[in-house]
Amino acid sequence: MSFLTNVLVIALTEQAPLILAAVGFTLIFYLNGFINVAYAENITLGAYFAVVFNTIMGLNFYLTIIPAALLSGLVSVITFLLVFRPALKRGVGKAEMIVLSVGLSFFMRYATKLAFGAQLRLFDIAKPSYWMVFGTGVTSYQITALALVVAIAVGLYLFIYKTNYGEIMRALANDENLALVSGINPTKVSVLIWFIAGVAGGLAGVFFGVTSFVQYIMGWDLILIVIMISIVGGIGNVRGALIAGFGAGFITVAVTLLTKPLYAQVVLLLLFIGALKARGLQRVRG
Amino acid sequence: MDNYSGSGTATDQTLPTKKLHLKHVAKSFGGRKVVDIEDLTLGCCGIEGLIGPNGAGKTTLMSIITHGLKSDSGEVFYYPNNCEVEISNMRLDEIARLGIVKTNQIIQDFASLTIRDSLLLSLSTPKYERFYKIFSEGALRKEAEEEIEGYLEYFHFENPEGYALSAGEKKLLDIIRCLLLKPKFLLMDEPMAGLPEDQMRKVMDLMMKKTSEEDLSILIVEHDLDVIWEVCESVHFMAEGKVLFQGSPAEIRDHKTVVEKYLGSSHV
Amino acid sequence: MAYFIFGFSTMVMFVALAVLLHLQFGVTGIVNFGIAGFWGLGMYSFGVFLVHFGFPYAVSLLLATALTGVLAFALGWVILDMDGQAVLVATLAFATIVMHLVTTEKWLTEGVKGLGTIRYPFDLGRSTEAVFLLIVVVITIAIILYAYKLHSAPYGRLLLAIKDNETLARSLSKPTFHQKLIFFTITSTVMGFLGALNGSINQFLIPRMLGPGVTFTVWIALILGGYRRVLGGLIGAVAAIGLFDLVIETYTPIPAAYAQMVPAIKLMLYGLTLMLVILFRPLGILGDRKRSYLHG
Repeated sequence: MSFLTNVLVIALTEQAPLILAAVGFTLIFYLNGFINVAYAENITLGAYFAVVFNTIMGLNFYLTIIPAALLSGLVSVITFLLVFRPALKRGVGKAEMIVLSVGLSFFMRYATKLAFGAQLRLFDIAKPSYWMVFGTGVTSYQITALALVVAIAVGLYLFIYKTNYGEIMRALANDENLALVSGINPTKVSVLIWFIAGVAGGLAGVFFGVTSFVQYIMGWDLILIVIMISIVGGIGNVRGALIAGFGAGFITVAVTLLTKPLYAQVVLLLLFIGALKARGLQRVRG
Repeated sequence: MDNYSGSGTATDQTLPTKKLHLKHVAKSFGGRKVVDIEDLTLGCCGIEGLIGPNGAGKTTLMSIITHGLKSDSGEVFYYPNNCEVEISNMRLDEIARLGIVKTNQIIQDFASLTIRDSLLLSLSTPKYERFYKIFSEGALRKEAEEEIEGYLEYFHFENPEGYALSAGEKKLLDIIRCLLLKPKFLLMDEPMAGLPEDQMRKVMDLMMKKTSEEDLSILIVEHDLDVIWEVCESVHFMAEGKVLFQGSPAEIRDHKTVVEKYLGSSHV
Repeated sequence: MAYFIFGFSTMVMFVALAVLLHLQFGVTGIVNFGIAGFWGLGMYSFGVFLVHFGFPYAVSLLLATALTGVLAFALGWVILDMDGQAVLVATLAFATIVMHLVTTEKWLTEGVKGLGTIRYPFDLGRSTEAVFLLIVVVITIAIILYAYKLHSAPYGRLLLAIKDNETLARSLSKPTFHQKLIFFTITSTVMGFLGALNGSINQFLIPRMLGPGVTFTVWIALILGGYRRVLGGLIGAVAAIGLFDLVIETYTPIPAAYAQMVPAIKLMLYGLTLMLVILFRPLGILGDRKRSYLHG
């Protein structure tokens, strides 16, 4: 029983950023219908922005969160306006869009490596205070991350399901022409969604970074699992992403504690393939 | 031969050797029942027509038979030569291999294939389609030449080494591809739409020729009723997902309810 | 000279992989992002059979190829009825699994310490590497010739039809899943076989060789050259890899301070090129093909 609570607590706090990333990712996936692998770089850059503000500009960690988040959102919007929207307008197919996003991902990842170097970077933070939750130690940063995840998830949930914008997004996702005719400005809404997704990804990066380290490859290592969480949870389903994200986190922690971290990855990836088969982007069977 | 409420055993010598039998077949989209067939038998004669207003479920029904679409419930049985085969759980390609083939209402084509390519694809059999058989093109062409040239000439395809460009050409190509498979049951979903007058005539003549000379039954959905009255020996009338009436063209044409619900005063 | 042979061998490898990808993606429409997985599986399993178990060269080669074939079949069986996006991420997941397992199963693969030494199948003194390279070149040419012939064969036509409109092909009675599965298995198995051969070229294996860089490089080579053309992979590989690995790295004097950055710059430029090609000239350098016919 204590193993279980141990895993639960660690999963919630350690993997909370993953859930955040998944929620942001699923929005773009739903809106534009393709998998944006370059979202991995949203995560990575969010972490880098924060760590630069923190270590080079000397800002206190908590003060770096907002600027890093905003910049991540901006980067996301830029990729949309400069790369993805033009591609969609040219009628690039879904599979080619992912390949395009892979290209962008490599471009951004290695540009980041050149700019910031390959070494691991650590945040310059005060020693965290530890809290004991059900017999497991968690840091104050992890608690903050968790709180943020909850806040943003709730916020997004309300945004999607309770406001106009959610309906608008669904209209746009399902039938752009119809949405246009109804007077919706697709650009404005799309930019907003990409901004939000960028913020979510960036924040995920920030909190992954502060609880472990920052490296140019961190987003790429996570992206497959983020994609999986999105598909398992249901594309565009914020609630689903939360649950699936937690599930993935749980499995990661449990398997890691029992065996090795890489085995956790292998298990998740195998489950991923299974999830694709069961839930995912299957053709209409004839 | 009225086979509307047919029973399912086919030992009667006067019945043709194949038919399709649908039982309790239903399909809903978004809460609305689009197809709701209690009991329907097809294949009584050479060419049968299926008519009805838009949204009656005709295309959906045909898609269910060939399994381009899966029904929510019910079974479809095929009776070739007095055996019974349940096709409701078979895949699209398996059903096509049995000889039940459908043309497409919405134009479908292969972007990379020229007209001749498309026809060769249709005629190509599994014995040519193995990864190590890369020298078989010559043999296939020789085998296929007569038939392909026949169709190309009959329909006056000007440039068979080129691609099908107009809607009419693509529609024709669709039909010929299906015919080249030598099907037992050909389902045609609005084949005449988009065809010029002379090609329509040719298709109708071809349909009548093939059904009388070969072991082929056709079920045709058409909005151009002149075509239906001319080629069909039997007509089914469908509305709101159900097949309501069935009879000879003359009977259906004069049927009070059919006239009301569909033909209106603008037709006949 | 030895370095040149090594660089050239690597390039020829990538040409072969790119032609195979052309067959998988350009002809059949299978979006295989797991190239590193099949190639790496062939490579490492060959190394394990040869070095760890001590089997003879030919036996190890055969076993490694067979193993890759079995796994390719299994993966294909699971994923080939899904759409392009799903196949892409599933194959990527597969390649990632292979890479992780090669690292964790140290008792077999020596993990990050590296597996070696992988010898050549024969010893001709100084000409060994060159002769082996010649063999690889011959194999690559054979693959290219097969691909060419395929384009004017009924089987090739079927695969193109599957790529264009699989449902329509199925409605014409073609067993598309079965055909895709067989073809995917065979082409991926060849990738594994090439990987095994690459073991000898590299002599020493580390898990990092199975990273996403390999898959990505093959893709950029194919897309750049033109994915619909057999020679697309060749042109793209020569342009992308030849230019960088051979010309710039070998002949351009780069100050030591920047030398470290070259791999990163290379991948960055690859990424940029991939984006530009997809956006502005999706059919690559060679463009589309005019189908020509052989009569009789």
